[in-house]
Amino acid sequence: MYDNFANPWTIRLKWAYLLTVVLALLSPVMYTVYISFNEHGFGARIYDFTFDWYRIVLGDKLLVASLEWTLYLAVTAVAITIPMALLSAKFYKRSRRKVAFVALMLSPLFVPADIMGSSLLVFFKNLAGAFTWLGETLGVGWFEGWFDLGFLTAMIGQIIYTHPYAFIVILITMSRYRGQQTEAARACGATAWQAFWQVEFPQIRVGVLSSCAFVTILSFNEAVRTGLLKGGFDTFSNVLVAQMLNIGMSGESYAMAGIMSIVSVVVIGSILVITLLRSEHLSRKARAMAEPMMSS
Amino acid sequence: MGENGIQKWVFYIPVIFFVLFFAAPIVLTIVFSFFERTQFWMEPGFTLFAYENFFTSARAENYVFSMLHSAAAVVVSFIIGFPIAVFVRRRVAKAAQHRVILLFILPFMISELVRVFAMRPVLGRNGVVNNFLIDIGIINEPITVILFSPLGVVIGDVMSFLPFMIFAGFLAMEAVQNYVFEVCDDLGAGPVSLFGDIIVPLAAPGIFAGSVFIFVNSMGVALVPTLLGGPGAVNAGLIANQAIVALDFPLAMAISTIMILTLVLLLYIGHRLFDLTKVLEPIS
Repeated sequence: MYDNFANPWTIRLKWAYLLTVVLALLSPVMYTVYISFNEHGFGARIYDFTFDWYRIVLGDKLLVASLEWTLYLAVTAVAITIPMALLSAKFYKRSRRKVAFVALMLSPLFVPADIMGSSLLVFFKNLAGAFTWLGETLGVGWFEGWFDLGFLTAMIGQIIYTHPYAFIVILITMSRYRGQQTEAARACGATAWQAFWQVEFPQIRVGVLSSCAFVTILSFNEAVRTGLLKGGFDTFSNVLVAQMLNIGMSGESYAMAGIMSIVSVVVIGSILVITLLRSEHLSRKARAMAEPMMSS
Repeated sequence: MGENGIQKWVFYIPVIFFVLFFAAPIVLTIVFSFFERTQFWMEPGFTLFAYENFFTSARAENYVFSMLHSAAAVVVSFIIGFPIAVFVRRRVAKAAQHRVILLFILPFMISELVRVFAMRPVLGRNGVVNNFLIDIGIINEPITVILFSPLGVVIGDVMSFLPFMIFAGFLAMEAVQNYVFEVCDDLGAGPVSLFGDIIVPLAAPGIFAGSVFIFVNSMGVALVPTLLGGPGAVNAGLIANQAIVALDFPLAMAISTIMILTLVLLLYIGHRLFDLTKVLEPIS
């Protein structure tokens, strides 16, 4: 749809607008990171660069423990969500009821965090009660503690939240893959797993890796559902929410926000750079392999 | 595909998981909303007390106000975001379109908590916006209406969810083929009629999907009014949270039910009007 006859100044103006919007979306976060390196905190007239706030955060055992829990949750969420999203995408391709399936998979995107968290909280409390009752009725202690609020329930909440994003990214990557290649591999004697792992996966690897990065960041940043479902431990973002609401905006809060922003920018920025470099490499390769243009 | 029974069932794991931990809790939310409240929990029964409590208190009024704020956030997001989607589809070379859209992934992937929190030092009395406007002499006194006010909530919602309008609009513009613009150019259609009569109707399913996402999340994410709305600012998510803190679980479930029904109604209307499955065509 590229229009070579449009006024170049109009085009430049539109580019300027687009970049202004990107900058406007990023600038509050950049400003927060900027403040987090000021020894005197927010509102001070003088700016002295320091890492002290970060040292305080990383020297606080409670905060480090919350960071560890956050990482455990993120790793577990990736380990479960990505295979599930792959299965979902493959199921979608072969499903005859695509609309119903995709509605089920994408609906969590449309349910706000607080509503989903509240629903799951009450659901798990009832489920835990039902298992306790079942254990008492059967006279066994095996069901004790099932679905009590804790790591498992927080993780389920995170999978419900992150899965739709991973599913969409993998589905978009898979839409470029032609199913005939799998059929050819199967016809040549490959098992279903070999056809997937050796033929299909290399072609969708970028999408899968991008999904891993997205799920890691979404899990790392998630606060609301985890806050309601986590039980007795704290994640990094939960501590930040508690600090903001109870203490206010301290130098530590800015440093914590800075850590979360820097982690997100590094992970997603790397994925963006890799994706852009790869697409550039592929388009160069495609141009090199294309038939030469013949003059008439 | 030549798979045995177990291999076939493996593909049903996500469906089973989502039915168990997404669909069932949502359905049970509706059921629990009719339960009777006890001192710390609830017990099975059938009562409309939670709904009566909701509709006869200030909560219903707050819910309607949060609908208005959310509608305002949708309109502002559309005005700011959709032209970007149109511009990228129409004026950027095909190979570069996805790269440009990727620019909006980065702000979206930074924690919503941080993005909302970051608005306070920007919009506050001594914040960047006020200092800048005072420095260039446009105002003498700091503007206080942009933080801890309904306007602050709308700004926070737009900053949080704007990228979704751009993504949905970009997908929706897939439905507007190149030749449509060529025909319009040949017939001498102006930019306003091209936008209003051609682009918006053809891209309506995507615009609607993006709008519903922004509307529902603006209504349901409690963080924005909590951090930017000041005293008295609430939305549906915050009302549900407050009910849980007060251990009124049937009320929390009733509010969630009303929120879910609002969402279902919107999606139903959208599907009847625009056939929302068209949004999925590019990835099918």
